[in-house]
Amino acid sequence: MSEPERAADTVSEPERAADTVSTWQDLVTASLLGTERTAVPPSAVPGGPAQADAPADPAALLLDRAALLTVARRGGRRPEQARPRPPAEPDPAPAVSPAAGRRLARMLGGEHPDVLAEWLSAAVARGLRVPAHLLPSLLDRVRRGSQADAELRRLTALAGGSRARWLAGLNPDWKFVTAHAPAGDHAPDGDDAWRLGSAGRRRGYLSALRARDPGAARELIAGSWDAAAPDERVMFVNVIAGGPSLADEPLLEAALDDSSAWVRKMAADVLAALPGSALGQRMAGRALGCLRLGGGILSRRLVASPPAECGAAMRRDGITPGPGAGGSPLAGQAHLLLEVIARTPLDTWTGAFGRPAGQIVAVPSSAGWAPVLFTGWSRAAMAQRDQEWMVALIGWALADGPPAETETLRRLARRVDPAFTASGITAGPLARLSPAIRDAITVLRFRYDMLKELDDDDSAG
Amino acid sequence: MAERWDRARVLALAPDAPSQRAAQSLASGRAWSLTGAAQPGAARPGTAQPGALWGECRGSAAAPYRAVVDLSGPAYRCSCPSRKFPCKHVLALLLLWADGSVPADDGEPPGWAAGWLAVRAGRASRAQAGEPGEPKDPMTAARRAEQREARVASGLAELDRWLCDQARQGLAASQQAGYGHWDDIAARMIDAQAPGLADRLRALASVPHSGAGWDGRLLEEYALLRLLAVAYRRQAELPEPLRQTVRSRIGFSLRRADVLAEGQPVRDHWQVRGRRDLEQDRIRVRRTWLHGRKTGRSALVLSFAPVGQALDDTLTVGTDADADLVFYPGAVPLRAVVLAGHDVLDGSPPTGDTIAALLASYAAALAGDPWLDSWPAVLDVTPARSPVPAVSDAAGHALPLHPGAGTCWPLFAISGGRPVTVAGEWTPQGLWPLTAWDEGGRAVPL
Repeated sequence: MSEPERAADTVSEPERAADTVSTWQDLVTASLLGTERTAVPPSAVPGGPAQADAPADPAALLLDRAALLTVARRGGRRPEQARPRPPAEPDPAPAVSPAAGRRLARMLGGEHPDVLAEWLSAAVARGLRVPAHLLPSLLDRVRRGSQADAELRRLTALAGGSRARWLAGLNPDWKFVTAHAPAGDHAPDGDDAWRLGSAGRRRGYLSALRARDPGAARELIAGSWDAAAPDERVMFVNVIAGGPSLADEPLLEAALDDSSAWVRKMAADVLAALPGSALGQRMAGRALGCLRLGGGILSRRLVASPPAECGAAMRRDGITPGPGAGGSPLAGQAHLLLEVIARTPLDTWTGAFGRPAGQIVAVPSSAGWAPVLFTGWSRAAMAQRDQEWMVALIGWALADGPPAETETLRRLARRVDPAFTASGITAGPLARLSPAIRDAITVLRFRYDMLKELDDDDSAG
Repeated sequence: MAERWDRARVLALAPDAPSQRAAQSLASGRAWSLTGAAQPGAARPGTAQPGALWGECRGSAAAPYRAVVDLSGPAYRCSCPSRKFPCKHVLALLLLWADGSVPADDGEPPGWAAGWLAVRAGRASRAQAGEPGEPKDPMTAARRAEQREARVASGLAELDRWLCDQARQGLAASQQAGYGHWDDIAARMIDAQAPGLADRLRALASVPHSGAGWDGRLLEEYALLRLLAVAYRRQAELPEPLRQTVRSRIGFSLRRADVLAEGQPVRDHWQVRGRRDLEQDRIRVRRTWLHGRKTGRSALVLSFAPVGQALDDTLTVGTDADADLVFYPGAVPLRAVVLAGHDVLDGSPPTGDTIAALLASYAAALAGDPWLDSWPAVLDVTPARSPVPAVSDAAGHALPLHPGAGTCWPLFAISGGRPVTVAGEWTPQGLWPLTAWDEGGRAVPL
């Protein structure tokens, strides 16, 4: 069977190559029609069978010639030409360690995907970047998504670096990366963006101004408040919420009387979390009336007396009346107590009870109010970003405290600083625990390991 | 109770990436109302019974789905209607067990699980009792071999006639033909005990719908099949290695024991350059490409597992295996079996060839085995995107990427526009990239 050898050798000569291509096309056309309808094209295939050896059947002859040409074309194939694109700029940031890269791959594969934003922001904060081979699946994961996921896209663009921008140039699906490019000499939008631009551009201008000069942004908002539509007023409060200070308080207090319910709610949320605000003090007054330390001199229990009804002043401060007439009065009261506690500054309790958070949560409460207290305090701790309280509350829940409402525990487990788990509180077998606690422990361990890997440097492998 | 698996091993059983994601989100435990693990029945002395898992998972139906896993297989059963195997409920149950969230040794399994486990235990003990082996009598063996040769010969004659019919009537008709058109002739080849041909024929059913140039590709395949039929008819005239190649492509498979007994072991530091998994007829096949550092030979190791079982994981891409390999006989010996592994070493990246060198080595191999359609390649190239995804080397030559390999974005990401060492399979439709080495010299499977 030396015919293929000879065929391969001869076809590599350029003059014969063109003949072979047209011969192949002729054969393909003849085969499409069939040898019943058309003759086998005469071809001088290099190294083909001699006339005497050729099979009598034209179909067999066609197939034999096709076989020779197939092998000849495969062996004698010439490479094409291609122009590669300009290469990506080198990235100054070092990549995360291989262990952290494997963890990112696990998250992208579906393990605890909700922790991805935390991983990315921790990597950015440490000046590290995503390993190149994981960029495509990360970019695909974050490109879908609503406005709420815009933060995820922003973090991805930062953590992806110059390689991500280069990839975005190749794939239009990823163009969000260039939209977030932290280009240093990008000129800030001029006044035109504010006066004439779309809602998105106005937001961008305002955010940039707020970052540069919070006071100027505040004045701009105050001046434009009355003329703005409700959606835009929501945007104003949103921009302030990014970094509120007591100087913003008058604006937000006024917003509590706004005509739009959404504006009122957002302003109340921001004020509740702002240390030293008047709303916070009002809430503290109400809260101390609802919860006190009772049980004699030893102060052995927390006594809860929920507010009887939701007055106008409470509504103005953001408390919603809760389930309607259909719910039991007890459920209504529990809801009000929850809302009050959730909006009260946490130093109210440490001040009033004279003991730290860890001891406060350990005090038993009366008549099954523990789950309400847990949920209320947890919401307050997450809004006010109080790690001490969050650690105390998680510790209470893990030591078979009162989960009842599991969503809060889930959110708490994802917000608390996992460093406290180094003490071993989350060690031990999972099998006998309730699913909510199991989930909380698993995610705490995951986040703890994740942050440790990002701190380790490359050499660990 | 069997040693607990780790998450990676469980996820490796999943049929695809969406199953992995679905299983992981189900494994949070909130949907599972009942889980347990135990050693069913009484353990026979001297045998290790790996035990079983079971669980009830709330799904979209009114009644919860019930999943049972027999760890001795492993074998699975779930009452959900999913066609995927193993389904996401089984995978989630295994993940819960891997995380330690399933209470162990919880007594006897509930009725619905115990029944299935008992049936399996019964089947297993019956199977161990007797297996039909090869006939010890050499006369019977010789007669069987003769019968097979006769069947194959007549099967190939029939294939030859069928191929000529196709060429006579014209390939245009095959665009409208359904899969039955090829399934019929493939079934005849199975009857003729030529499974290699049957596989090739069944694979042809998708060619007419594969886009521009389908007619050329179909003609190529028909032509090469006829070449195989003619070669078998004239096998006595062929040199022995080529005869072996022809026979193995037709489907005369050699038993692993025979290959190991008759072949010469080749010991070397075999660099594991890349691997690819595919699924054919409910069997998963893993193709692992090796390259000997000292001998310079390439090898392809195939391993198999039924769908739902884990594939062999001993050869890791990026490492060097110090092992003895035995090659299957053939004109261009590529397929090999690991006789004995001695050690696993860290590997350094290979040096890539130029495109011209790859094409020249492929052409030389084709001269020995004209049906060769998968050739190991390692190149120093830069991926490019226009007009089709391709790789180009420093000399300005370019080769297209195989369309089946998808968009290959990770390869582009690793390269960043700069040359990168890539290992893959060169096929007539293009290069199928399998592994790339990044700036740190680490092997990244693609």
